[in-house]
Amino acid sequence: MELIVALGLIVFKVAFLIAILLLLPLPLTWLERKIAGHIQQRMGPMRVGWHGLLQPMADGIKLLTKEDHIPAEADRFLFKLAPILALAPPFVVFVAIPFGESISVLGAEITLYVSNMNVALLFVFAVIGIEVYGVIFGGWASNSKYAVLGSLRTCAQMISYEIPMGFAVIGVVMLAQSMSLLDIVRAQADVWNIVYQPVGFFVFFVAGLAEAQRIPFDLSEAEGDLGAGFHTEYSGIRFAFFMVSEYAIVLLVSVLVVILFFGGWNSVLVPLPPLLWFVLKVAFFIYVFIWFRFTFPRYRYDQLMAIGWKVLLPLSMANIIITGVLLGA
Amino acid sequence: MSRAQDRAGTWIGWVFFADLANGLALTFGYMFSKPVTMQYPDKEKWLPYARYRGHHFLKRDDEGEIKCVACELCARICPCDCIEVVPYEDEKGNRHPAKFEIDTARCLFCGLCEDACPADAIALGQQYEFSSFSSADLVIGRDDLLAKPGKAATGGGVVAARLNTKKDVLVETEETQGYNWWRNIRRT
Ligand code: SF4
Ligand code: SF4
Repeated sequence: MELIVALGLIVFKVAFLIAILLLLPLPLTWLERKIAGHIQQRMGPMRVGWHGLLQPMADGIKLLTKEDHIPAEADRFLFKLAPILALAPPFVVFVAIPFGESISVLGAEITLYVSNMNVALLFVFAVIGIEVYGVIFGGWASNSKYAVLGSLRTCAQMISYEIPMGFAVIGVVMLAQSMSLLDIVRAQADVWNIVYQPVGFFVFFVAGLAEAQRIPFDLSEAEGDLGAGFHTEYSGIRFAFFMVSEYAIVLLVSVLVVILFFGGWNSVLVPLPPLLWFVLKVAFFIYVFIWFRFTFPRYRYDQLMAIGWKVLLPLSMANIIITGVLLGA
Repeated sequence: MSRAQDRAGTWIGWVFFADLANGLALTFGYMFSKPVTMQYPDKEKWLPYARYRGHHFLKRDDEGEIKCVACELCARICPCDCIEVVPYEDEKGNRHPAKFEIDTARCLFCGLCEDACPADAIALGQQYEFSSFSSADLVIGRDDLLAKPGKAATGGGVVAARLNTKKDVLVETEETQGYNWWRNIRRT
């Protein structure tokens, strides 16, 4: 009986997570377009629903009903596989992410995470690394020059930025003496990691921007020079998969930044419910992502590589060494 | 400040991302400035100036007779070849157009017909809302042209309006003073 309840709970949590992740792009696209509009002194979507609130619905319906076109020369199997490969990992990652300690519903304690892995951080990085296959296969299978170029760039970009990103969190792991995200947040109950690890945060955030392929590092889908990059040939629902995946990664990076460096659900100044604090912090970082997008121009490809290998990598390594020395002293 | 100090300052600025922070502050400021969008046709509508070249109209003289003498000069000068005039002679022996058709689908609104007309009979007026689903509807005949609105007396105002999907843009209030296009542009 207890087993069934536990299983049911897990199934419920997973379903809830999937629903949130699938629905989140709707408000996020609206927000993104609104913020873009106002930064450029426009109004953004205004005509569908109140202040364009229903615009994402209209877009969603449009994407669902559009022709699902596969280019004649494309590798059909990989072409169909790629969007799924891009979409699944960001969803899987959220299994390991805690959203809080626990809440009590009807007298029962319900934990706000699907599983508390003791290597959660490693799991996150391992799984999110698979996402890049979706992008690479997508570009390769399309058999289009723009798409292949986008994929090549993604390849190089992902390899160069995954390394500093991984190094950047080692400082955090050293401080918390654990790779479990839950323990990392608990270790920040008094002082957030951003105080001890400003360099780590900087490296992680910049690498996160690159990981999410957002401006200023969105070279793989640079509209100006590559059409739409790796998803040039995609349309309809498959394109929507890439879109959802992108927003899921934006959410993931924001969540990771909050958990690793900004004390997770630990409150500051005002004692709000922990979950609310968590959501507020994540929302702030999502906003920062969008804000960056409409402030900065795109980096050139060689600049991107130079930043990755010549700035972020040494910085993250120095960060590890200094953290180690200070911890040992 | 010496040159070396200046350069050091620049470097320190770069290390702390002063330039990026400046950019972010600027866009953040813009985010809370008023949009310059004119919401036509949902909310507002622009009134054209007197010099605006919109839809053509034909004029009548003081007796209410059509001014056009069907000389076909406008048809000649028209670079798009979109005016067709067929003359007739009335009882008093005056020439008038029996048929006067403008194909506004081809017209480029250059206003040459207005300049060429010796009888000051044709001009380009203030109407700019005459889109249509069929290009046949855009061929306008003599009687319709006589009924079209003339030149705007004032202009540049923006009036409250809303879209009536069946007919037209409905003007709700009148406001004639000029519109300052730069009113909401932020300057820093
Ligand atoms: S405005 Fe120009 S193009 Fe149009 S009818 Fe007159 S002369 Fe022809
Ligand atoms: S409108 Fe003027 S130019 Fe054209 S036919 Fe009539 S009188 Fe001649």
